[in-house]
Amino acid sequence: MTTLDWIVMIATMIAIPGFGLWRGRGGKTTSHYLLAGKTMPWYAMGLSIMATQASAITFIATPGQAYVDGMRFVQFYFGLPIAMVLLAMTAVPIFHRAGVYTAYEYLERRFDAKTRALAGIVFLISRGMAVGLALYAPAIVMSVIFGWPDRLTTLIIGIVCVFYTTMGGIPAVTWTDVLQMTIIFAGLILALITVISLMPHGVSFTDAVYLAGAVGKLNAVDTKLDWDNRYNLWSGLLGSTFLMLGYFGCDQSQVQRYLTGKSVAQSKLSIMFNAVAKVPMQFFILFVGAMVFVFYLFAQPPMLFQQTAMKTIAKQPAYTSVQSKYDDAWSKRERAARALNVARQRDDKAALNASIADFRTAQREIETARQTGIQLYEKSAHESGFNDTNYIFLTFVTRYFPAGVIGLVIAVIMNAAMSSSSGELNSLAAVSVMDLYRRLFRPDETDRHYLIVSRICTAIWGTWAVLFAQYAKNLGSLVEAINQVGSYFYPVLLGVFILAFFFPRVRGSAAFWAMLTGEAVIVACAVFTHIAFLWYNVIGALAVVIAGWLLSIAAGEPPSHVLHVPAISPRIDTGAV
Amino acid sequence: MKFRLPAETYDSEPPPILGSWRNLYIAVLVWLAVVIAVCYAFTRYFA
Repeated sequence: MTTLDWIVMIATMIAIPGFGLWRGRGGKTTSHYLLAGKTMPWYAMGLSIMATQASAITFIATPGQAYVDGMRFVQFYFGLPIAMVLLAMTAVPIFHRAGVYTAYEYLERRFDAKTRALAGIVFLISRGMAVGLALYAPAIVMSVIFGWPDRLTTLIIGIVCVFYTTMGGIPAVTWTDVLQMTIIFAGLILALITVISLMPHGVSFTDAVYLAGAVGKLNAVDTKLDWDNRYNLWSGLLGSTFLMLGYFGCDQSQVQRYLTGKSVAQSKLSIMFNAVAKVPMQFFILFVGAMVFVFYLFAQPPMLFQQTAMKTIAKQPAYTSVQSKYDDAWSKRERAARALNVARQRDDKAALNASIADFRTAQREIETARQTGIQLYEKSAHESGFNDTNYIFLTFVTRYFPAGVIGLVIAVIMNAAMSSSSGELNSLAAVSVMDLYRRLFRPDETDRHYLIVSRICTAIWGTWAVLFAQYAKNLGSLVEAINQVGSYFYPVLLGVFILAFFFPRVRGSAAFWAMLTGEAVIVACAVFTHIAFLWYNVIGALAVVIAGWLLSIAAGEPPSHVLHVPAISPRIDTGAV
Repeated sequence: MKFRLPAETYDSEPPPILGSWRNLYIAVLVWLAVVIAVCYAFTRYFA
């Protein structure tokens, strides 16, 4: 990195949280700290929702995913607009008008205190484990790419993030997210322009798109129904809808974003914005990755993008032969790509068909050669499941991007890490204080007391996140398990909210035991079946709903005609600022 | 078994565009269908 890159990166990391703190200044109430006094406009909430969901790994790994696997990952987001419409019709107005601080507070009004506490604890476990990863994941990638000490990186990102989240609360977090997403959009557009401008002479934008498509890198939609296939149209439309319903409708880190709205209409508009913008944004990020793939057709990429892995295999006796085969395969593929490009430009059908066949054969050969390198690493390092997807995009950026742009891309990643972590810290504090501390231990304290405790809880969760990130490297494969933790817990939360909204017969005990039943079903699926994890979201939520309904019938309770009992908590002061 | 939306879900304020929330939801779902169709066409054309 050059001096200019450092200036861009450091200035961005200081200026953006500074802007957030300045815009969010002045609040002295718990309502302002946790709900921004319900003053936020739709665009700020919309960008904050997007920023909270998009972690640093989204921007590091997604282009790499397209490089390796094509663009089919975009299908994962097809359920998001459907989920957003359903939430705009149900959860958003219900939570907003209930005047709650957390989604789980509503469960006590609808069911009972134990269901609220269980939902709050489920959230704290799932989100509490994941929050440290948002800091750890980008730091470990940058440690490999730049040689930066990962613990120092997580410490710096963590301190900045915890500082502005603790001091400014959700107003600072939201306005910081707005600017962070603006920088992220700018960085992505600049990345695409740069990668296209780096294509060799004679390869136009349409040529590049054609070459990517010829070897299946533009496989955005797969209509084949396959239960074991993680990403296809059907798992995207059904499994992803349930996952997104669980995440955006039941995860406090997202619910809290749209609870800050000036009105129900503003909150609904914020999630409609995400419904419209999210799929194109993911498509765009994946498309950048596909263009990086095309760039590497004409500039030889390393066999393995993780430098430490390359150093490991370089010591092996078989390395020279494996690397030589990889070099030959790349040269063959480059010739095939150039031949295909020429045939296409000449519009020579016979030559075109022959060139496509050659190009695809060459692509398979280089994939085989790369796989041999991966196997060599796994054998020499005694590891399995090696994956260097996270390193592909940053390796490309650091090698080929001009000075200043590298700093901007690193700033984008740092900002993404902070924006997702800050939203999570704020929501963890809200649930800890409102659903546990105030509800179970100190219900009659002053607003100032809860404000101070909220700040302390934010700092404690922030410290936990930084400490988790410091030692995450030692957790090994547990990190991967934690990364998928949402699909183990969200279905249960989603199921209990479906019961709350649509099944008047179901009461507290039935809902409580249904949640536990649903969790048991998910664990059974994970242990005893090979079903792809996205489907847990459907199975788990349905298990909770069916169990809750059956238990309520077994209990013989009549349908409740009053779904929403009067507020337990003091009313939220909406005129704080 | 009764399915009904709670009273809190009733809309009191219309969206700034398209006249009603129902129209806006339909527009978003149509947008999703168009995006999927474009992605599908993109896949087929370049494959």
